[in-house]
Amino acid sequence: MAGYLFLSPAILFYLVFLLFPVGLSVYISFTNWNMLAPLERARWVGFSNYTYLLTRDDMFIASLKNTLVYALGTVFIGMAIALGVALLINNVRGSALWRFLIFAPVVTPAIAVGRIWGGIYHPSQGYLNQLLRAVGLPPQQWLSSAELALPSIMATAIWAGVGATVIVFIAGLRNIPAQYYEAARIDGARPWHEFWHITLPLLRPTVLFLSVTGLISAWQVFDLVYSMALGGTESGTTPARAVMVVALYLYTTAFRSLRAGRATAGALILFVIIFGLTLILLRVLRRGGLEAYE
Amino acid sequence: MGRKRQSRQWTLVWTGAALAAVVAVALAGTGTALAARTKIVWQVHWTDFQIDGIYQGDQLVARGLRQWVEEYERTHPDIDIELQSIPMEEYLNRLIVAQAAGTGPDIISVLNTWGPQLVYDGVLEPVPADLVADVRNQYIPVAVEGATVDGQIWGIPFEVGNYALVYNKKHLQEAGFSGPPRTWDELVQMGAKLTRRAADGTVERYGFAFLAGWESAVVHPYLGLLWSLGGDFLAPDLSRATFNGPEGLAALEAELQLFRSGATDVSASVWEFPQGRVSMMIMASWYESSLKQAFGSEYEATVGVAPIPAINGKSVNAAYSWWLGVNAQSRVKKEAWDFIRWFTAQTLPDGTTRMGTYQAENIGSIPPRKGDLAGHPEQLDDLYTRVFVQELANAHHEPNVLQGAEIKTILWHEIVEAWHGRKTPKQALDDAASKIDDILREFYG
Repeated sequence: MAGYLFLSPAILFYLVFLLFPVGLSVYISFTNWNMLAPLERARWVGFSNYTYLLTRDDMFIASLKNTLVYALGTVFIGMAIALGVALLINNVRGSALWRFLIFAPVVTPAIAVGRIWGGIYHPSQGYLNQLLRAVGLPPQQWLSSAELALPSIMATAIWAGVGATVIVFIAGLRNIPAQYYEAARIDGARPWHEFWHITLPLLRPTVLFLSVTGLISAWQVFDLVYSMALGGTESGTTPARAVMVVALYLYTTAFRSLRAGRATAGALILFVIIFGLTLILLRVLRRGGLEAYE
Repeated sequence: MGRKRQSRQWTLVWTGAALAAVVAVALAGTGTALAARTKIVWQVHWTDFQIDGIYQGDQLVARGLRQWVEEYERTHPDIDIELQSIPMEEYLNRLIVAQAAGTGPDIISVLNTWGPQLVYDGVLEPVPADLVADVRNQYIPVAVEGATVDGQIWGIPFEVGNYALVYNKKHLQEAGFSGPPRTWDELVQMGAKLTRRAADGTVERYGFAFLAGWESAVVHPYLGLLWSLGGDFLAPDLSRATFNGPEGLAALEAELQLFRSGATDVSASVWEFPQGRVSMMIMASWYESSLKQAFGSEYEATVGVAPIPAINGKSVNAAYSWWLGVNAQSRVKKEAWDFIRWFTAQTLPDGTTRMGTYQAENIGSIPPRKGDLAGHPEQLDDLYTRVFVQELANAHHEPNVLQGAEIKTILWHEIVEAWHGRKTPKQALDDAASKIDDILREFYG
């Protein structure tokens, strides 16, 4: 009894701030609530929010596809780049300076990053097209082309987020005992063998951590897409279907279209997807690190 | 020794009690004073100079909302008005959250697109009869239409917006044109000639740019073309969408002519007009102050405004409006209506209202009250606003329909798909109509 009493604040906290909101969200997802009328007046609509989203709403389906492409692209390409950078600067002179320079974009607000890169991508005035012209290549409509807009935003996201990943990789690299490399060198291993057979396997827990946290955060991307491609930017007009991501869809559905019930259903679908992906990642990358050698 | 200590303790007790009594009386006094003043919370979507006034040096040249409110507070010592300034794009979100928490404002600025839902969900209080009569008699028809939901007036119109062709006079002169286009065909031809490309094909200056980025920006100009061709947006009984008929298709095809002729493309942006990288655009009246600021002393020599080129012999433009409503949850409804009456309906000796003066002198928007329209010739008959005021006679107000924002968002996305060539105009309009029909069936079926 005393134990439960000690636990009661924590239990109460979880009941009030976790279980109740989750339960309420599930209930709201089965209603047509618009947030303006009291919840009691909301009509029970069964699974129709879910069926509409998954069978009738091509914008939601597009947002799922775009977000999946965005998440996989930014996380895994970002990790590959970050690992390369981490390996390069880990043992070089002045690595603290390099770490600072690479980390700087991480602490820049996403809206500011979006603004800066919106300028870089500008079709006639942007540096990127000026660079292309200088080397004789045709300029591109980076943010107004339906095909290029999402990859352009992803490239910006990778640039903005790679610094944090580099720092985590450097920490992971420094945790690998030097004797593994020494032993391998005595056995005649080349740098590529060292990377493939020592570095990468021992970084598996780091990769797992970065994959899970990166994917969860990438699935919730909002501000970068909003500031760079939607909202009538100076770079032109992008079709929403080409760049719509789930978080943006949920926001506009709830607060612009006044369909909180449908947006909540979409949020729960998003939760199931993130949960499923996380389970798959945990299963694939669970083993590894130093214990794999035990 | 013991008695001395006891005496000191009693002294402390009495002193403490006396202090507590003094504090209690003081607080009670403050409470009484506070309770005597009635607080009205007014949430507005205006910011900066619109709230604080326009100054030249230290000199106030146009009152902001704050100075008007201060005047009301001076003449009504029992009233305290709190202005809450919220950016337009966050306004509805904040209102929704505040309503759910029971902390909504007493006076609400309502965009007509939100109006029907606010009425349907009981957020708005009915307008007093005298103000209803005032709106019906004193306001221009398009504004009355904008504030009407199901035949009843639900707010006091304070701003009406419409569209016109804004062009760069210098660009047109350089290209040898003596004036702005009058017909849509002329617009397409002139747009193509005004467009300048670099050697590698990059567009350096667009002949025309569409406003884009939010639902009204794209849908309103399209609706103007649709109406001028004799089509309609929705069936009069709101049972189905009608824009995907021949007139709607012709309207979208007319827009696409500008893309096909090279007058514009999806990278063109009206926000580049102030940098001289766009020659013509269909724009709303609120862009005036940005253009004045951008062109400075060259403003009058550069900026020209004309009616939207006619597509079928006559130019029609879409209108939207804002109105003031009182929250049904408010505890100070009478006081809120009294203030609104003072600000929007009580006329000054010259026949204008305080609201009209504020609109014309500070914001630069078009006041929808007839007396205000006539009473501010200096501001409303200027280079930019004159055409917008004249074009109010050719303006159709968009329909006030439940889920109006959602309906327009669907059409917006589909029109942009057609601009990009990702769907044929017919496919885009049919897809939009199909989804909008679902919504109309849900709410009006």
